[in-house]
Amino acid sequence: MDTSKTPATTETGHVSAAPGQEERVWRAGGLEPMPVRTLPDAPPSVHILGPTVFLVALGVGMGESYMWPRLVLLFGPEIRWLFLIGVTLQAVVMLEMARYAMATGESIFSGAARVFKPLMWFFFVVAILVYIWPGHLSAGAAAFEQITGIPWMVTAVIGLILVGVVFSLAKVIYNLLENVLSILIGTLVLGTAVVAAMVGTWDDVVSTITGMFHFGYFPQEAMTAAWFPVIVGACAFAGPSGMQQMWYTLHLRDSGAGMGAHIPTIRGLRHAGEEEAMPSRGFMFDTDDPREMAKWRGWRRWVTFDALLLFWGITMLVTISFTVIAQAAVRQDPAVRTAVQGDDREVALSAMADSVSSAGSSVLGTIFLGFIALIGLNATLGLFDSFSRGQADMTHNFVPGAKKVKLSHLYAGFLWGVIIFGILILLFGPADGPSGILDTLAFLSTFAMGAYCVTLLLVNNRMLPKPIRPRWWTNLIIGFGAFFYLGMLFYSLFAFGVVVG
Amino acid sequence: MAGGLTLLAGRPVGWAAVSALALALPLGILGAGYGLLTGQGVIRLGVFAPAGLYWLAGFPLARLAQETAAGLTLTGEVVLAGGVAGFLGYQAMVSLGFAIGFVWLHERLMPYWLLRLRGHNPYARELLDRYVAHAEVLRSAAGRRRTRKGARR
Repeated sequence: MDTSKTPATTETGHVSAAPGQEERVWRAGGLEPMPVRTLPDAPPSVHILGPTVFLVALGVGMGESYMWPRLVLLFGPEIRWLFLIGVTLQAVVMLEMARYAMATGESIFSGAARVFKPLMWFFFVVAILVYIWPGHLSAGAAAFEQITGIPWMVTAVIGLILVGVVFSLAKVIYNLLENVLSILIGTLVLGTAVVAAMVGTWDDVVSTITGMFHFGYFPQEAMTAAWFPVIVGACAFAGPSGMQQMWYTLHLRDSGAGMGAHIPTIRGLRHAGEEEAMPSRGFMFDTDDPREMAKWRGWRRWVTFDALLLFWGITMLVTISFTVIAQAAVRQDPAVRTAVQGDDREVALSAMADSVSSAGSSVLGTIFLGFIALIGLNATLGLFDSFSRGQADMTHNFVPGAKKVKLSHLYAGFLWGVIIFGILILLFGPADGPSGILDTLAFLSTFAMGAYCVTLLLVNNRMLPKPIRPRWWTNLIIGFGAFFYLGMLFYSLFAFGVVVG
Repeated sequence: MAGGLTLLAGRPVGWAAVSALALALPLGILGAGYGLLTGQGVIRLGVFAPAGLYWLAGFPLARLAQETAAGLTLTGEVVLAGGVAGFLGYQAMVSLGFAIGFVWLHERLMPYWLLRLRGHNPYARELLDRYVAHAEVLRSAAGRRRTRKGARR
């Protein structure tokens, strides 16, 4: 391992070396070196619960419940090969995000800053531009309105305030959110399976699954200005979209995975006083020590299980269930196909709910809308926490003077900032953002995905010690990811003049 | 959940209640059976495969019971899409999703429920002890694996 004997700064209580010993550090980029510390033991690789719940909660959204079922109805199940590629790519991205976060206890934003600080500021600005608009609340709240009659605006505003209050009262936000999201995702997976069992058939599920292996299928009508941007958008929404994978590194750190165990957790506003001093950089373990490397392999096995079974598996299951439900809906009422061809998401979801009702029981349609509301709730909880976590992390580490403020206070500031802004926009402005910049926001969201693939390549291959850098084939897949997202985005822009549908 | 949503939606309760009850009852019985088997150590805690196999058999049977009971009660006949074999095959396939959701909720909620019951229910105390022992076994097994790997080097 390429460590120096230069003593690291010891401005925080956590990082001082034993008396009389010189600190070993890992120098990565132009920022403060990382002191070498012991890597904690890895938990058993086969597990059921973990930080992946955040990524599943954020990832299982409108892409899985609406966009892909819609594309299947329009172009047939064969179009799902693109979904398979999108979600598999996201599983590899997840593994590579975890590599840096578990090896250093730093977020990928800090890794980006070590490579080139403006790169991190780019993500800071994109997060604000894309994620402060409360439009993601509308689908879930609208579904809830259909069930209960309560105006969606009222639900959305109350939901925003509740999220702020609950996160402010929590002792450790990560623990609370992992519990809540696990229960919500468990309910969603179990519930969609029951509904799919009641309305679907063997043929539906077989065509949905076999459709994933028609690689290269691309009908002529999909190559039009009307539909190609929609397909680009659906590919970007296969699994976690936008910056959600980058935020996963912060959840991984707070869960205590790998060297994240050396970093204190973010607390709710009410318990912010109990927060331990936050170190100004991460840590590195001794990659020359075979025992440490054995522990590292244990952590890699643990996160691989997370990526393949929990993330990939559950995302696949939910989208298969929703696609089966959509196919059953069209079989029951062919008018649903016309409804989903339109741009109005609420009309399409409502038509599917009505059709599902007539296919099974009247209650099934209501439950279907309940799932849409549940997905909206998951997204709101996950996005607000993730946005605040990411912005607080970057502000704390890279805005001069911000270290005087506790990370928990910064988190609360961003959280309540986005909540108050969200309420004002819901009441007085356009929920998705000003119409003049909608295209720009959609472009930035997908562009960020290509950009984080490039960032990952730079961070993992330049900022980590050689023994724990990614293999060539992993780099190839991440490189393909950058090409996939940026290529489709720019092709859509130049060939059709539209960014994302 | 179904009942609450139905009432909120102002939908006819009778039809939905029969259908929901016809599914909830067998699923509830099978869920209790799962709890008993974990309590006796037949099903291992914290892993998916045994739960997957359990629901691979249990879920299709529960759905068959539901279709039969609801069909006979509401329309006087039982119609299974794809025939009995096709119906059971499809339900077995979907049971994978049900099993994952079930295990996820079970692992998350059951220990808290057992903590509430353990004061007055010896079976709950026993099952909670099994959860604690299981966590300790996994932790020590991982420790032993690491020690063996270290010794081989």
